[in-house]
Amino acid sequence: MKEVTGEVLQDQIRVTMSGHIDSNNAPEVEQNVRELLEQAPGRPVLIDAEKLVYISSAGLRVILRIRKTNEEVRIINVSPEVYDIFDMTGFTQMMTIEKAYRVVSVEGAEEIGRGANGTIYRIDQDNVVKVYNNADALEEIQHEREVARQALILGIPTAISYDVVRVGDSYGSVFELLNAKSFSKILAGEPEKMDWCVKEYVDLLKKIHGTLVPPGQLPDLRETVISWGEFLKPYIPEAAWNKLMAMLREIPHDDHMIHGDYHTKNVELVGDEVLLIDMDTLAVGHPIYELASMYNAFIGYSEYDHSNILGFQGFDFDTAMEFWRKSLAAYLNTDCEAKIREVENKARIIGYTRMIRRSIRRHGLEKEESRAEIELWKKNLLDLLDKTYSLVFSNNELDVEASTDNLDDVIDFVRGFLEKADCPLKIQMQVEVAVEEIFINIASYAYAPDKGNANIRVEILEDPKVAAIQFVDRGVPYDPLAKEDPDVTMSAEKRQIGGLGIFMAKKSMDDISYRYEDGKNILLMKKNL
Amino acid sequence: MTIQKELHENTLFVAVEGRLDTTTAPDLEKSLRENMEDAEKLVLDFSELEYISSAGLRVLLMAQKTMAKKEGMKVTGVNELISEIFEVTGFTEILEIE
Repeated sequence: MKEVTGEVLQDQIRVTMSGHIDSNNAPEVEQNVRELLEQAPGRPVLIDAEKLVYISSAGLRVILRIRKTNEEVRIINVSPEVYDIFDMTGFTQMMTIEKAYRVVSVEGAEEIGRGANGTIYRIDQDNVVKVYNNADALEEIQHEREVARQALILGIPTAISYDVVRVGDSYGSVFELLNAKSFSKILAGEPEKMDWCVKEYVDLLKKIHGTLVPPGQLPDLRETVISWGEFLKPYIPEAAWNKLMAMLREIPHDDHMIHGDYHTKNVELVGDEVLLIDMDTLAVGHPIYELASMYNAFIGYSEYDHSNILGFQGFDFDTAMEFWRKSLAAYLNTDCEAKIREVENKARIIGYTRMIRRSIRRHGLEKEESRAEIELWKKNLLDLLDKTYSLVFSNNELDVEASTDNLDDVIDFVRGFLEKADCPLKIQMQVEVAVEEIFINIASYAYAPDKGNANIRVEILEDPKVAAIQFVDRGVPYDPLAKEDPDVTMSAEKRQIGGLGIFMAKKSMDDISYRYEDGKNILLMKKNL
Repeated sequence: MTIQKELHENTLFVAVEGRLDTTTAPDLEKSLRENMEDAEKLVLDFSELEYISSAGLRVLLMAQKTMAKKEGMKVTGVNELISEIFEVTGFTEILEIE
């Protein structure tokens, strides 16, 4: 049997070594290798040692001499026994030597998760394997293992892979995951556990988003998301695209962790512990990026064809919608429909941007089916861009188009805070009068005849208990308080109705002040509760 | 907001329930304009009215101006909050409040 075979490839010389290589056959091995190397002097050498059983010091010296003429030598598929020899002799420090991978089959195995880069199967009761889509995934595996390790150190409950294996022509990484059950499976099989799932899912999400990541440890999603927007330039009207890009760029840099693919197949119940898996998309960034990918996973990808979700998550579109809406409400800690809609719409803008780009890149615009889907996403995106002015959000702020149509939403949002603070009904009404008058004033004059947004921020302060409500708009500079109070002693015939609203706002609140700052009208009012 | 109207011997009785604000005030204005012509006197029953903003006051002022040319207008059943708003805005001087 010949110990050496090989071939000269475009970018490397591939040498296969097999059997025993020792002082008996080392000269012949060297001769065979030399003949190969001479065909392409200096080209990188890849030694496949899959069938190599033993190598003595005479054989090792052959490898050393190869390296003298060909600087780059890499040895792969090394058995544990031969690896020990390389390790003891210090060869592992001198060149890249990779162990052979255990071979694992996923035939008939249950699929328990699916992410952007791979699919997760259960291979036995205690273990799962994530099989990567990309055939040459060793770097990805390394990356995912590294980010999972970092997440674990930062306090995020996750599983870390302990072995890399071959699965068919792909690579896989193996995790221990005892008796795990994904949240998708729970939602599909035990619908009565919906509210429990929402709570656990959101608690973990808040934990992730509350985790500050040391600079440089995880990729920053901000530039990536901006590049999604850039891709859309030829596909949507210029004004809409400009608005989209301005809003994407306005999202501030954020060093908090985001998972990047946070849907219910990637959250596992293990015993009574909730674990996060599929960590390869882990990044830092503003939470709106996460909400966008969640929207896509539950709704976006199934918006055109509602049956998609069943194949992906195992539950139906209605369940997905209910879970998404309840999770968003719990995440924002609100029952206010307007608040939920505001953040959902912001998430949708980024979500559609991403899906349209992805679909065009994958399928082009040739296929009828994907074109119809893209058209739907595009229409929704343009509708939303028309009435949205910012993609950032905060739990105690409502960001809405300054339009009288949105008055009820604004009142509802403010009322939620007052009710939580056990505010007496009369005071609540007085605050509502002031909120209405100020908001209507902004809606009527700030941007006319154009459109724009108003941001309403509510804070309940303690000791003494005070409701502080702030209105911000980017309209024409205007101080509503500067206007003289109307003469309220005049008879009905002579009464001018103008100015009455602002006057009522002043009288309803305990304190009200105005300033113009950074191109913004800022009106702050306070009421003792 | 809901509106109940009844014309009884030249007097138009209007009961307004709920919130009289920017969103709902135009409905009351329209409703009043439809019937005020036929009436000599207007009685607004506010006992179920919870809330009023300047948009609501504007409608009251319009109604007051219209009815002043006839036998007048009266507001009844005003709650504490609304009564305070009438006070602050001088509407107690303009309207006949019972």
